[in-house]
Amino acid sequence: MPLITLEPTNGPFGSNAPAIPVAPRPATLAGQTLGIVANGLGVSETMFDALAEQLTKWDDLAGIVKVVKPSVAVPPWPEQWAEITGRATVAVTGFGGCGSCSTRSMRDALDLEAAGIPAVCIVHIALVPAVQALCKLVGAPDYPFVVVEYPYNPTGGWSVDECNAMAAQVVDRVRLRLTA
Amino acid sequence: MTLTSATFTYEDYPHALEAYYEAGYTDGLPVVPPTVEAVEAMLAAAGLRGPEVLGEVPTRNVSVTAEKTAVNAVMAGCLPEYFPVVVASVRALLQPLANCHSTTATLAGAAHALIVNGPVREQLGIVSGQACMGPGFRANATIGRAFRLVIRNVCRTVPGVLDRATFSWPLRYSFCFGENEESSDWTPLHVVHGYGRDDSVVTVMSVHELLKAGELSPESEVILETISQTARLRGLPVDSFVGDARGVVVVIGVEHQRRLLDDRWTKEAVQQRLFERMTRPTAGKYDSQVVLAAPANVLVVAAGGPGIAESEVMLPHLAAPTHQKL
Repeated sequence: MPLITLEPTNGPFGSNAPAIPVAPRPATLAGQTLGIVANGLGVSETMFDALAEQLTKWDDLAGIVKVVKPSVAVPPWPEQWAEITGRATVAVTGFGGCGSCSTRSMRDALDLEAAGIPAVCIVHIALVPAVQALCKLVGAPDYPFVVVEYPYNPTGGWSVDECNAMAAQVVDRVRLRLTA
Repeated sequence: MTLTSATFTYEDYPHALEAYYEAGYTDGLPVVPPTVEAVEAMLAAAGLRGPEVLGEVPTRNVSVTAEKTAVNAVMAGCLPEYFPVVVASVRALLQPLANCHSTTATLAGAAHALIVNGPVREQLGIVSGQACMGPGFRANATIGRAFRLVIRNVCRTVPGVLDRATFSWPLRYSFCFGENEESSDWTPLHVVHGYGRDDSVVTVMSVHELLKAGELSPESEVILETISQTARLRGLPVDSFVGDARGVVVVIGVEHQRRLLDDRWTKEAVQQRLFERMTRPTAGKYDSQVVLAAPANVLVVAAGGPGIAESEVMLPHLAAPTHQKL
């Protein structure tokens, strides 16, 4: 007699997710206000500050608005979200260096896209499989992101010089991802 | 009852088991085949309809229904009468302050302790005494395993994918035990947190560290100092999201509880003293402050068997202990 059993998951991975829209990109960052949704992992805020400084220097940004979330793997507080979506015209999220913070920061980027704000998540190479899985699960399977590689530690025990070097490593790719 | 899960048809149990392994539906151990009849029996035991949503993991767009929870409870080997405890555990995990996404995807590999209080312990045989945190007890083992299978299969926390645990932990197979409410007149954990004595309640505690606090001294103050120092080996930093709800669990073993009772320590007095000592400012390396808002945030639980004079300290991941009445 055949044995009939039930599926224990909500279906094939990502199969039920409606596609998340990607926001239209500006031609350049000149005149744009950069939002930074930092998760507070390690000293990553220092890296974001360095990145903002470099973008400001070369791209004639109109301004910077930064929020640091209340915990590494949660959404911004509602007032933080209102501040970012109310002022930023492009945004970066991260730092994706731990298991739950990397995927949550990717979700932050996707939520910004859905709100019409071009975004990019900065992720350590060690967490690439996690963020790719999250993207697939929530309906953005091919969403690009910017990767930081070794020798930098994923979880952020970096010196100020390393933060500056990491920002320099990613700045061109961040610019590319945020513009058309 | 109408179930909506996709069905699979197999020649026999061995073929079904191999297919479930192949699909990644198990924790590495064999599972019980989730047939329609078995899943319906689970739902009936809890008085739930399949589509009822127990909670969500918003970051992942995941909704956890009663039906999917029941499927995984069957797979874990639960009896139908265990299912209300599984449901309460899942609901507690999916409360916002339990921070499900963080505690299940973390590199740190946090586990979750399910601490059961109230009459359901005796009704189901949930063990709170000798060896209660380990294997050998059907209710403890299968309820804890069902909880983990829901995390794996419904919440999509698969190792190497969304589960990024560096080493992970054997406690992630199953970790469920009861409080020994009968060993003293100490106020049971659930009553401390506002429930009635006749309520049955599950407390879900994320466990980033499980530290043994061994102390052979007969002096209650020394015992409590050792427990505090054990927590302070790792400390507990501030996290704005969890805020004042942050808590630690101290499982007082039988020999320690006997000394404390001899000296007429109430549970509330134990909480107060542990709070005072855990929250002292840091004195240097290997002595970290456990930042807590109030004595009630030291969740004191009586459990374990006689023998070695020791207690267990559970320090959380980025989450608060959450409670759910059955």
